[in-house]
Amino acid sequence: MPKILVVDDEEHIRLLYSEELKEAGYEVITAESGYKLLERIEDEKPDLVILDIKMVDYNGLDILQDIRNQFYDLPVILSTAYDTFKEDMKSIAADFYVVKSFDLTELKKKIAMALETRLPT
Amino acid sequence: MAFYEENPRHITKADIIVAIPSFNEAETIARTTEQAAKGLVEFFGDRKSVLINCDNHSTDGTKEAFFAAHGDIPGIYLSTPPDNRGKGNNLRNLFEKVRELETEIVVVLEADVKNVSPQWIRKLGEPIAKGSGYVCPLYVRHKYEAPLTNSIVYPLTRCLYGRRVRQPNAGDFGFKGQLVDTFLDSPVWTESMRNFGVDIWMTTIALNARMPISQSFIGSPKVHRTKDPYAQLVVLFRQIMGTIFDMMPVYANFWRQVKWSKPTALFGMDNLDVDTPLPVEVNVSRLHERFLQGFDKYSSAWQQVYDQTVFHKLQEIRSLGLQHFSFPTQTWTRILFDAAATYQRLGEQERANLLDSLLPLYLGKVLSFVKKTERMSIQQAEEYVENECMVFEENKPHLVKIWE
Repeated sequence: MPKILVVDDEEHIRLLYSEELKEAGYEVITAESGYKLLERIEDEKPDLVILDIKMVDYNGLDILQDIRNQFYDLPVILSTAYDTFKEDMKSIAADFYVVKSFDLTELKKKIAMALETRLPT
Repeated sequence: MAFYEENPRHITKADIIVAIPSFNEAETIARTTEQAAKGLVEFFGDRKSVLINCDNHSTDGTKEAFFAAHGDIPGIYLSTPPDNRGKGNNLRNLFEKVRELETEIVVVLEADVKNVSPQWIRKLGEPIAKGSGYVCPLYVRHKYEAPLTNSIVYPLTRCLYGRRVRQPNAGDFGFKGQLVDTFLDSPVWTESMRNFGVDIWMTTIALNARMPISQSFIGSPKVHRTKDPYAQLVVLFRQIMGTIFDMMPVYANFWRQVKWSKPTALFGMDNLDVDTPLPVEVNVSRLHERFLQGFDKYSSAWQQVYDQTVFHKLQEIRSLGLQHFSFPTQTWTRILFDAAATYQRLGEQERANLLDSLLPLYLGKVLSFVKKTERMSIQQAEEYVENECMVFEENKPHLVKIWE
């Protein structure tokens, strides 16, 4: 069962994503901030990260840079309330992005694509 | 080994090399060399550094200008024989020298870049020091700059090899020294590759060497000698496309297994002062005219390569006229895939004919891009390109099928 780490400072988003993604067959773990996130990834070894861009204490795009530098091929989906983040070049280090919604159809589609992306070793 | 070498300080080992390929660049190479030397002192001062001019036996004083400008950093001059032109030949001399000097980091800069600064050395060299195998630059570009990259080289390379490298055929880049063995062992060492095709050839090899690839944000446009985009278009198109198609069978076992694509690590995002690119004027009437002329010259060739559905679609596109012109990405993707597969079955002259017949279709696709994005910001046009890449990736099963 693929393990997904949801990083978001809004509790209702963490709950929504957890419930829906568990129902869709994924194992879900959550984090409410970017604090010690790299260590968490190292320990928990998720198959995919869903990362909020604007958190109270952290900029998701900076965290994305750190993730990409340390875990080169770990899929990351940016989750955001507004798509203005695309003006920031840092966002191109993400596999995909989704605009937050209560309908997770698009998110689930992007998760499936990110997990089936295949580069032979 | 280079046909000719001058190594006045008898350098036998180097940790980092900045190489500047050239042919008759006496006017510009001094500035590039000076900036590179400053960058080496400022950012790699604790390492043994060398500047290398890989030349095509220039007769305008390039060598003298290079040696006069290298400052405290030792310089080496390598040259091909007088009649042996092409950046690929220059780089072959460089690869052999890199192996000999057991160099860890190599940065290549084009001699005619007018706005190169010491920071470029850091941006292309530091990711290698931190573990990347290959670094491509991300210049700030106007939406109509580099149409061949936007329409073919980026989407096709990304779709084939699964890595999102936005400017994979840029002329300035960095690479890990150990990659030179892979470059020198490449079975593709064609005339096209030795000329305009060399940059995409190197990136393709690096992508298949399975080393981490980075993109480094330069933060400015690349300002270099003004070139007439039509002056060398036929040769440039043929050589770059020929190189891409020539590499496909070599790495077919890899790319047939690749599904979708992944991003790369980004470097150089710490200083986000971004210059605005200069506007690029596009002559849409001329593009349209060249597209239409393709029907007179290549209709029968197109019917042999592409199936009836594609050919009918092309006729439909022709009937739209300039005002409503639109070239669907789905059709474009199909054309490129079919052309790539057909190319493999042809002899040398037929291959050249096929690539020439693809050129008017490419110009039609560029025209369509210009029209679709004319009211878009650079950022929006960039998203448009990303969406086109998804169409390539979605249609890849067709390529895999016809390849078999």
